[in-house]
Amino acid sequence: MAFMIAAYLVIWLAVFVFVFSMLRRERGLESEIAALKEVAGEKPTG
Amino acid sequence: MGRSHVGLWILTAVACVAMLIATWMALVGAPSAAGLTVDETYAQRIIYFHVPCAWLSMLAFFVTLVGSVGYLITSKSKWDNLAVSSAELGIVFTVAATASGAIWAKPAWNVWWTWDPRLTTYTVLFLLYVGYFMLRSAMDDPARRARFAAVYGIFAFLSVPITFMSIRWWRTIHPVLLDAENFGLSAGMRPAFFFGIIAFTLLYVTLLAHRVRLEGLREEVDDLKESLAY
Repeated sequence: MAFMIAAYLVIWLAVFVFVFSMLRRERGLESEIAALKEVAGEKPTG
Repeated sequence: MGRSHVGLWILTAVACVAMLIATWMALVGAPSAAGLTVDETYAQRIIYFHVPCAWLSMLAFFVTLVGSVGYLITSKSKWDNLAVSSAELGIVFTVAATASGAIWAKPAWNVWWTWDPRLTTYTVLFLLYVGYFMLRSAMDDPARRARFAAVYGIFAFLSVPITFMSIRWWRTIHPVLLDAENFGLSAGMRPAFFFGIIAFTLLYVTLLAHRVRLEGLREEVDDLKESLAY
């Protein structure tokens, strides 16, 4: 039974690690976009 | 929240429910295999998740091929985004399939790993797609990176049919499920097997949609940086 549990855990773990890494990258990019938009708003045009 | 955003979250919810049902069917719903030792009987249930992972790794690399060809024809970044997103998922499912296969191999073959043609070609396939990301990370110019990665993605795909056919071309101890009558499964096992493949495919589509969206955000950052002359 240990083999079966280990295999299912490994697969779920691989999926969760990928999902969490995606969420982390998404959060990082969104905060970067917000910061860049703020800078763009402050930057004088012309 | 846009319509596509709502659609993505509905798809995510459906994929999660499908995966929970697939897990229940694989662990509880499907009957136990007959004529095996106790360890082998439990380990046999690994195929309900191992086969979908292996199938998705190959599907993901096929989508990378499609994205690569699409980019070379159109030079539009959306194709490159699709290719890189799918390649990343392909790596994840290759790792999941390899690890679950090794765990199944211990009670079935009495070893965690052997240089069987399927395992060897699958390892080469994995390393080729690791190389795909190493190539991408070595280039800063987005257009040049996308062009080189597209050419590499097309050639790397050659390893997918070789891996798929390896158990038919060479002597192997790896089971050949697709060629066996009824996939070598009893009538009670087949619903869990096919539902697993459907649920995992749905999971792949969902994760791919999220990953492509992430590439869109990365592009937005690059555009903003360019407009600010960073």
